[in-house]
Amino acid sequence: MSLPIALDAMGGDFAPKEIIAGARRAVDELGLAVTLVGVPELMGDPLGLDVVECSEVIAMDDDPGASVRKKKDSSLVRAAELVRDGKASAMVSAGNTGATMASALLRMGRLPGVHRPCIVTPIPNPHRTPVVLVDAGANAECTPEMLVQFAQMASTYVATRYGVAAPKVGLLSIGEEATKGNTLVKATHQLLRELPTLNFVGNVEGRDFIPSPVDVIVTDGFTGNVALKTLEGALKFVFSAVLDAVGTNEQTKVAGDVLFEHLWPVASQLTPDSQGGAMLLGVQGICIISHGSSNATAIMNALRVADEVDKGEVVAKLALTIRPDQAA
Amino acid sequence: MSADTTAPLDRDGILVLVRDQLAEILEKSPSDITEDVSFEDLGADSLALIELVEALEENLATYSAGFHIDDEDLEGLGSVRDAVNYVALKLQVS
Repeated sequence: MSLPIALDAMGGDFAPKEIIAGARRAVDELGLAVTLVGVPELMGDPLGLDVVECSEVIAMDDDPGASVRKKKDSSLVRAAELVRDGKASAMVSAGNTGATMASALLRMGRLPGVHRPCIVTPIPNPHRTPVVLVDAGANAECTPEMLVQFAQMASTYVATRYGVAAPKVGLLSIGEEATKGNTLVKATHQLLRELPTLNFVGNVEGRDFIPSPVDVIVTDGFTGNVALKTLEGALKFVFSAVLDAVGTNEQTKVAGDVLFEHLWPVASQLTPDSQGGAMLLGVQGICIISHGSSNATAIMNALRVADEVDKGEVVAKLALTIRPDQAA
Repeated sequence: MSADTTAPLDRDGILVLVRDQLAEILEKSPSDITEDVSFEDLGADSLALIELVEALEENLATYSAGFHIDDEDLEGLGSVRDAVNYVALKLQVS
């Protein structure tokens, strides 16, 4: 029997209720094994799921590094330790992103050769596999060498998870020409171009997320997070504007009834809930970071991602990407 | 990486320990890490420093049971020299 996935029951805007409900659905609908990690007196009904008890919670606004050191019996730290100790196949949390990353980094450790772990976030694209954004927010300050590693790891992730052969890698900039961009982008462009193992196709721009001509978009964590949140905000506005327009009068409501049948599948594909979670690449274990506002559906999908990553042996493949000489 | 606990620990030993741990965390050559260099110049962010602190606590526990670096003290440590002096003072070695 496969190891359970350790789920931080205390992390997220709608924790613990939606988190536990998502776990229950993952067990019932996907057949996954899930262990909740949480504070019993704060969790409520665990809906019949296994619980690893702890006594502390890292809050959304706690300092990431300091909280992991101070709250050693928190749900986040304990979840990371279950992975480290071989008692869980992966950890999933919708809690404090920085603390989730710190817990995974400090308890599981980095893969040999990895400068810094990074967050890879899938962005759905209609009629094709998602484009992944890396780094989506783990490292505000980056060097060209870090971005090259992010691109390498994300490329392996896409090839493994989505079955894309030789994923196309684009570097986020303010123009397609190699001479465009800041010092970091121009230096990174040069390094990526010289890397024969990567299918680097050049610079891409902010308009190239949906639809995207590439499979991987690499950037620093500051820019990546701003781009991701901008995209989320814009999509949310568009959905809201369409709904408002449809509700204008009886005539538009009738038109809406006809259109929604076709619009709904596109809209549901583009919501963050459908993707479930972003993976932290570069640590010695599986850590899936879910959106802070995750509901039960998002948590179920994050658990599904964790299971797929585990079965795809993504971490072992990432290790070989960074240190190909370590192949057996 | 663990320190050689059979050797007596002096200030030079602490310097080697700090340097080696930083080199491992930052994926740099130990020779690039001199005593004068600042953490900022090494590219060590707050998480890297937490990694260093945890590694030092683990290694130095064999010399001093329960060896602990206070998070509040971290703010005052800006360079390799600061870290070495801090640990030496805590362990009362010269």
